[in-house]
Amino acid sequence: MSESTKQSNQSSITLEPSQKRSHGVWDIIDRLRGVLAFVVVFILGIFLSPQTYTTGHSTFLNVATQKNILFEYAEIGILAAGMTLVIITAGIDLSVGSVLGFAATLFSLLLMGYGMSTPMAVLITLLSTAAMGAVSGMVISRFKIQPFVATLGMMLVARGAAKWISAGIKVQPGAQKWYAMQIGGPSIFDWMTTPLPGIGLQPVTLLFLLSILVLWLLLRFTKFGRYLYAIGGNEEAARLSGIRVGLIKTAAYTLCGITSGLAGICNASRMTLGDPEAGATYELDAIAAVVIGGTSLMGGKGGMFFTFLGTLIIAYISKVLSLRGVPEANRLMVRGALIVIAVLIQQGKRKKGA
Amino acid sequence: MKFLRLGALVLVVLVIALSGCGQNQGTTTNASVAGKPAGKQFVIGMSQCNLGEPWRVEMNADIKAAADKHPEIKIIWKDAQNKTTTQQDQVKEFIDQGVNLIIISPKEARPLTKPVADAMAANIPVIVLDRKIEGDNYTCFIGGDNEKIGEEAGKFMVKLLGGKGKVVELKGLMTSPPAVDRHKGFMEGIKGSQIKVIFDADCHWLEPDAQKEMESALSRFPGAGDIDAVYGHNDPSAHGAYVATKNEGKGREKTIKFVGIDGLPREGVGYVKNGMLAATFQYPTCGAEAIDTALKILNGQKVPKNITLGTKIFTKDTVAKGGQAL
Repeated sequence: MSESTKQSNQSSITLEPSQKRSHGVWDIIDRLRGVLAFVVVFILGIFLSPQTYTTGHSTFLNVATQKNILFEYAEIGILAAGMTLVIITAGIDLSVGSVLGFAATLFSLLLMGYGMSTPMAVLITLLSTAAMGAVSGMVISRFKIQPFVATLGMMLVARGAAKWISAGIKVQPGAQKWYAMQIGGPSIFDWMTTPLPGIGLQPVTLLFLLSILVLWLLLRFTKFGRYLYAIGGNEEAARLSGIRVGLIKTAAYTLCGITSGLAGICNASRMTLGDPEAGATYELDAIAAVVIGGTSLMGGKGGMFFTFLGTLIIAYISKVLSLRGVPEANRLMVRGALIVIAVLIQQGKRKKGA
Repeated sequence: MKFLRLGALVLVVLVIALSGCGQNQGTTTNASVAGKPAGKQFVIGMSQCNLGEPWRVEMNADIKAAADKHPEIKIIWKDAQNKTTTQQDQVKEFIDQGVNLIIISPKEARPLTKPVADAMAANIPVIVLDRKIEGDNYTCFIGGDNEKIGEEAGKFMVKLLGGKGKVVELKGLMTSPPAVDRHKGFMEGIKGSQIKVIFDADCHWLEPDAQKEMESALSRFPGAGDIDAVYGHNDPSAHGAYVATKNEGKGREKTIKFVGIDGLPREGVGYVKNGMLAATFQYPTCGAEAIDTALKILNGQKVPKNITLGTKIFTKDTVAKGGQAL
């Protein structure tokens, strides 16, 4: 298996990743598996959701429900978008949940504690989380430490930093005497979670869609994107062909840090406070979204559009289970089974790839 | 093979579907309203912040017991698993599903203020239980008064010890308002008497922690008359203290009086019956009152904005007749 993987991946160094195309109906179905799964889940969602009590239509097809799904999974979706870049390089970033918590805390503290203006607070927050990502990336590429271990370290450091800057309590108006804001709350929180007139979507949702779009363009149409696939496919070959592997990998982790920071700002807006415990276990949801979409943990394969579908698949399934009132115990089992089966399907695809 | 894999995928989704169906049949209150005879049917969405605490399980049971007497009510149960964002989503789901009324026992005040306001804006009345939200954009708040309960516990302690004695206070999580209030009230209750708190510790509402702290108290005050009573902020703490004292092996559990709070049937009240606790004070779950209030609102009657519930004391003498209201 590894031999065939290598072969197909080596070809992707010189070719567009999408050019490795085979023919026949079954191959098309194979390529569209993510889309098919999405369609199946969507249709089942329509039939399995309970009806509303006022109109009798399926709750699932409500525009409001659909908007809520996007809104509720925006944070996971943004994390997954950044995570996709890292996973394509055959890496992993376990720190995204903690970095989200750190960003939410820092952002709230800057706004409410120090009374800073919103653009300034956004800038400082994103720079800090970018720096965290960059540190992970440099540790991985320079000292050849496994991504799993390096980002596990960052996961603890970021969580500790969140608790340190907030003194371990939730950052909200009046939480501490020295806070600039003692009552009320920053207007940015309301703005982020209120649908924009004309568009009908919350800025949080738009940030999710925008992150996916921007990173999709980056992966699909830039040299940087192609390098990521090349490194994930065969790092040594990529190095030999003149790609600055360390730099590109560090850039991927840095971007992942920025998306985590963005997700943290969304989290703070949603909670209207900075919770230093926010985002715990979110990294697992983000990884699940990437994997269910079809991006391989072995690197070199996958894409942003699939991550988008993966996020929606998880979101739809969670929503249907929630609308039906299925207890948490069953939900966890269903989600666990789903992730494993998604990977099983992937492996099947891999064997055939040669 | 390809058929197989696609088949597997469909199968998975079907399994998910079935697991959903099975559960729904399991609950007595089926949410679906289709095909029901016309008439006044009310759907109430109930979002509980978690079902890990026995007191909250009791609250849901009380709501269910009260609702079962009214066939016109259907309740959709949601458990937020102690996650604030999940509870926010649940309120939104209730709005999308078009329920007639929402009952919420919120995890946290601030983040749930806006979702509740959204429901109110959608003309869905909201009853808030136990913990408040910010501002006053809700229909009705029902809760107990922890400070009063603490004060009653203090007064009872004065009576029990004849106005003089040494007490160990096993506190709840002191960053949570109920623990602060139960402490404040107790100090108010023992004011003017010669009762002294000689040892106190934060036990985070947890029985194992209370047991450990009580062991420390016992070793610091090892003599027969060194400790007269224990005040636990909840029944598990008082019970943990009793167990620690019994394990000490000096027989001091017979002389030290243990007092707890919450008064759940299977916990505190049971401990009083067994003679472990001298008394427990009920912290009302608001379950029955929530359904009463909900029916009034749904039938267009006026209800008070804030309802504060009283407490009951259970002692050896009163436990058989269901406690005594204070």
